[in-house]
Amino acid sequence: MTKTDNETTKIAVPTRRRLQAVKRIGGWHAIGPIVIFLVILLVVAILTPAFIGSGGLAIIASSSAPILLLALGQAMVLNVGSIDLSNAAIGLLGAILLALTLGPVAGLSPLIVLLATTAFGAVNGLILAYAQVPSFALTLGTLGIFQAAALVASNRTTVYVASNGESVRSLYESGIANVPMTFWMGVLLAVALWALLRYTRIGRGMTAIGKNESAAIFSAVRTRSLKVLAFALSGFAAGLAGIAIIAQAGSASPTGLGSDLLLPAIAAALIGGTSISGGVVNPLTVIFGALTVALVPIATTAVGIEAQAQSLVYGAVIIAVVALTMSRNKSSIVK
Amino acid sequence: MVHKVLAEQVAGGMNTTAIRIRESGIERRARFRGLAEPLSLLAALVVLIGVFSLFNERFLTASNLQNVLTQSAIPLIVAVGATLVILLGSIDLSVEGVMGATGMTWILLSANSRGGADLGPWAWVIALGVALVLGVASGLIFTALKVPSFIVTLGMWYIGLGIATMLYGTDLLPRLEDEALSGWTSRITLGLPNSFWVALLVIGLGILVLRSTRIGRVTLAIGNSETIVRSAGLPAFRVKVAVFAIAAVLSGLGGILATVQLDIGSPTVGSGVLFIVIPAVVIGGTHLGGGKGGILRTVLGVFLLTILNNGLILSGVESSYQSAVTGVILVAAIVFAAWSQRDRLRVAK
Repeated sequence: MTKTDNETTKIAVPTRRRLQAVKRIGGWHAIGPIVIFLVILLVVAILTPAFIGSGGLAIIASSSAPILLLALGQAMVLNVGSIDLSNAAIGLLGAILLALTLGPVAGLSPLIVLLATTAFGAVNGLILAYAQVPSFALTLGTLGIFQAAALVASNRTTVYVASNGESVRSLYESGIANVPMTFWMGVLLAVALWALLRYTRIGRGMTAIGKNESAAIFSAVRTRSLKVLAFALSGFAAGLAGIAIIAQAGSASPTGLGSDLLLPAIAAALIGGTSISGGVVNPLTVIFGALTVALVPIATTAVGIEAQAQSLVYGAVIIAVVALTMSRNKSSIVK
Repeated sequence: MVHKVLAEQVAGGMNTTAIRIRESGIERRARFRGLAEPLSLLAALVVLIGVFSLFNERFLTASNLQNVLTQSAIPLIVAVGATLVILLGSIDLSVEGVMGATGMTWILLSANSRGGADLGPWAWVIALGVALVLGVASGLIFTALKVPSFIVTLGMWYIGLGIATMLYGTDLLPRLEDEALSGWTSRITLGLPNSFWVALLVIGLGILVLRSTRIGRVTLAIGNSETIVRSAGLPAFRVKVAVFAIAAVLSGLGGILATVQLDIGSPTVGSGVLFIVIPAVVIGGTHLGGGKGGILRTVLGVFLLTILNNGLILSGVESSYQSAVTGVILVAAIVFAAWSQRDRLRVAK
């Protein structure tokens, strides 16, 4: 009798300890994104060993850079319980503005673009916070405005960088460990945002808004300015994505590279463990969300699924991954 | 002492009277506000029509108005389903994918330039069946697995597009080869384009479902408070699945009509519809949180956007500005609707 008791405790203690360890680093939705990325990567590695050997990881990382930057901004907005449907359009407008201004004002140009995109994001936030309108409808509206602005600014054609493009291009052409600087820029931003959320009053306040906005208001959290800040950060990240697009392509057009990043970026944020209803985010796992989104098309080809089925697999993966990693309880209401 | 108590009682009585007066005032204003939005939308429509007919005399001709009705028919059909989903408090992003999958299925099973089987009316049944399966799948994943509708329908958008692309394959593009059908949508019957008659039928059925069936009433109730619906023992689960299925079938119908209108099959036959439909629902005054709104309001929203786009093009405004106009109207409409309810403690997501 005592023997069996001992045995069960022997088994139970390590599992409990392991569970506690998982809890300490933030639960299943914190390690889920990493595990999912590694599993898909493992499948690709087994089926096409040549891909991993020939710098495939670097290719995934470099193609995920604009998605990662946009996803980080999106994650900040999702964290305060809102959504920013306009950030990819802001990023593309930023890329077009950069291509237009890089010739005339050279080094100042990226700075101007970042200022402009941050301001665009902040305008979203200001209208949201002071007119108290739903973010989905508001940013859907501003999405249309930014899209039109991109069409008008580029005159519906591809804008090439006239001169002074070398400095921006070097962000893509130089790198650490064969991975371009544009990706490391995203990693750096992720670490900065993680520190902001973890260690500062501002970041804690943002998460509080996402968890329970009424409670945050009653606890004297400055909800309005923090929401504006979240949207401004999304605009800033979109500006960086615009720079990454120019670094990669050397040109920008309303229908070219970066014109359909909105949904992949949202998917990356969600696969990265961000809750769509707010209050749960980890910028560090969003990195793996973006890598997964960039890996899925490569993985489908590696597994031997025909190219036409790619978007089908993509859709199924989004649903499956979120269904697997989402934290939920039985009585909760999901909209 | 006694005087003081009396005075307090009197004051208390006055307070309750004051509160009652205030309450009835709020009620009256709320009733007015309920009408104010549709009325202001109607007024906006009339003003728009007036302004555009001044800019270009072609605007108010019968042929252009029929043109506007043809353009609005497909968004109207899709928007009826989208309104039902938004009344639940959920969102359906999958419309363009479902339109693509249904449209491709339909044209490949009808008389087309690729040959293959011509199933006639069965093509409609099978194609709408594909839409139904996609809708039921969305609904089941949403309700049973509790994945937010935003994500489920985002995934279903891609899945629908994937099915359409796989059906399209690498062959030549399928062209519709049915004399009776090609151009059917814009042909005029009794003064109105055929596709608009279909839209009217769908709107009528939609209103009927929302007003007089259990599905409709429970849909509104779920939007207001799902907790109460569940504790009242109403079938929240089944109704949610049914609403997603209805929405997908309507998107599918829109996809078939769009294919007929285009005369060729294309996986991206629905592209751009989502950016008309959701703004139209919101401009019409249906709350994204659910529970408040209706189909007729959405109809006004669709008309407002279609007339604006048609009128602006006729007035010589470059088409680059089109999405900005929709965007500005959408932002203005939601700010206008929310302005009177602003409150420091209000939570708007």
